[in-house]
Amino acid sequence: MEEPPVGQAPKPLLSGAVPLEAFLALLQKNGIMEVKVEETAEGHILHLQAEDTLIQLEEDGTHIVCDNNEPLRTTLRDLVLRFLQKI
Amino acid sequence: LIMKDNSLKLVSSEQALKELGLNEHQLRFTCRVQLHDPHSDPDTLRRIYTHLKSVLKGYAIQHLPDGTVMVESIVIKVSSSPEEANTKVILLSWSYQDEDLGSFLSTLLKKGLPSGL
Repeated sequence: MEEPPVGQAPKPLLSGAVPLEAFLALLQKNGIMEVKVEETAEGHILHLQAEDTLIQLEEDGTHIVCDNNEPLRTTLRDLVLRFLQKI
Repeated sequence: LIMKDNSLKLVSSEQALKELGLNEHQLRFTCRVQLHDPHSDPDTLRRIYTHLKSVLKGYAIQHLPDGTVMVESIVIKVSSSPEEANTKVILLSWSYQDEDLGSFLSTLLKKGLPSGL
């Protein structure tokens, strides 16, 4: 069985925000076309329809809710990280 | 390590962000893992707890009375729909800071639980 991660340094803290329009453009560039955007009091919720995934974008946080699809999750993670500074 | 007023000081990352006037951006993931499991939800959660206890040595693993299992700061919950009682949905939630462990747990639980737990 695969070994659990041991003694790895924690990931850096993140700072900044993810701009909606630029993020949508980046999703499209990566082949994610069908995105329904809903405005909320705190920001936006993006529904990636073909992938059945939700991304909640807020000024001080991003929440990715998806099925157990590691390639998709890590792709979305890396796209979000492009907009954030690592501290 | 930050430089302020011409002096260097070593502070925590959180403190450094504050001192630099930057906001922290929380990146979180919630992953749904489907499991074919005929047990009740609490029983499935207990089996997950037992399984993780045996696989993850040296980690803080807690089974909380509110129906969650926590591995360090990663939250695990179990739910099922009345129509498909044998299909459980495990919800795993973690922050980017726990990325390695969160990713490991989602891959581990996808493989299912060993019989005999």
